[in-house]
Amino acid sequence: MTITETTIAVPALQAAELYERLLHDPTLFILDVRNPDDFRRWRVEGRAGLESLNIPYYEFLEDEDGAIARLPRGREVLVVCAKEGSSQYIAELLQQRGNKAAYLQGGIMSWGNYYHVRPIVTTADGQLVQVARPARGDVSFVIISAGQATIIDPLRHTSHYLEIVREAGATLTAIFDTHVHADHISGGPALAQATGAPYYVHAYDAIHPIDMLPARIAYTTLEDGQVFRIGQLTLTALWFPGHTLGQMNFRLTAPDGASYLFTGDGIFLRSFGRPDLGGKGETWTPLLYESIYQRLPRYVDDTTLILPAHFSDLDEGGADGRFAMPYSALLQTNDGLAPRTLAQFTTYVLGNLPVFPPQYVEIKRVNIGLATPDEAQADELELGKNICALSH
Amino acid sequence: MDTAYDQTLDVKGAKCPLPLVKSRKAIGELAVGQVLRVVATDRGSVADFQGWAKTAKNVELISQETGQEAGQDLYIHYLRRTS
Ligand SMILES: [Fe+2]
Repeated sequence: MTITETTIAVPALQAAELYERLLHDPTLFILDVRNPDDFRRWRVEGRAGLESLNIPYYEFLEDEDGAIARLPRGREVLVVCAKEGSSQYIAELLQQRGNKAAYLQGGIMSWGNYYHVRPIVTTADGQLVQVARPARGDVSFVIISAGQATIIDPLRHTSHYLEIVREAGATLTAIFDTHVHADHISGGPALAQATGAPYYVHAYDAIHPIDMLPARIAYTTLEDGQVFRIGQLTLTALWFPGHTLGQMNFRLTAPDGASYLFTGDGIFLRSFGRPDLGGKGETWTPLLYESIYQRLPRYVDDTTLILPAHFSDLDEGGADGRFAMPYSALLQTNDGLAPRTLAQFTTYVLGNLPVFPPQYVEIKRVNIGLATPDEAQADELELGKNICALSH
Repeated sequence: MDTAYDQTLDVKGAKCPLPLVKSRKAIGELAVGQVLRVVATDRGSVADFQGWAKTAKNVELISQETGQEAGQDLYIHYLRRTS
């Protein structure tokens, strides 16, 4: 027998395959080989039962046997690191030691920037396409009808939207942000520049709530009750202050009687948008209360499909990652919407506020043109999952 | 104040895990008590070298500093072999 130096081919998993396995493969086991601080800050999250373990790659270098002994026996391990180098290195080491292993191509950065596009409603009148960034829990939508298209809450990587519109053979007529986002950089202004379609956001959100400085981007304001046509469909902008002062809901109605509500960071499937990211949680909480308990019921019925801009965990998307639910079902499952007095609601809100990520102030600056990060800085600002919801 | 060192390891351009893998090898070739200066361009090396020094039994991280060279950021680590 001759001993030759061969590298054992270790399977590389792409972000798209990772998403499929997070949704459908309960046997998935993730070994994250980044340092503990990075792991604590942000990791690959899946369904509630997902098993993952953090053993930094240098622990394998120092004590290979000890580190391997901590892994489940006879089970394939998906190794993850920041950009893929270390995970490939450790996956090869594991293969050589007889453990089944694969690594995530492009590392957690590629997972963070992975977009999943899928139509979630298709009727004779048009199509509703969900564009999600599952690693961040960000969801946006493209509405297409009779050759016209609009986008709601587009995320930073605009090529995905341009491709959907192009493939549908449609003309982009408008771009909407439900509000000025704090957790991610909007693709809205860039899409408006690229296509000439108007970018809409409520003027209240065009003033930075902390800096008190006005926007330096081109935008058109929205009015409460303003109506837009998209082919056969009608879209109505509805004011829903609380998460931000200019937070809007968009109600979409079709000729078949179906209705859809894009809630942005208003209500989510299991929670609602926190009212403190403008730095004025106590002042804005009564506004949010009025929005949830008085405004919202006026423009939804039991069958209205609720389509929020975020989810907090993959289970919210049901079996196949469809982040939508009829209003009646939501009232049963979303504890945040349970009947409360204003005093009870205030206590509930102030008692369930998660940490305020410091970069959220800067992201709002970026979104109204007060700061312009380069690609690497934008990646850094957007690192991790959104924390726009109240804890639950 | 500049930290004194016995040897320099240039890992500019090397990506994770190579800066650490090479440093580990280089440290092994030093005498006990000697100091290795590692010059890296990988920003991730800062946190990784801190974690590694805590894990490894024979490495002490004396200091870390940043620098600039030809428009790129440098991350410089000083490591002592302790046993
Ligand atoms: Fe958000």
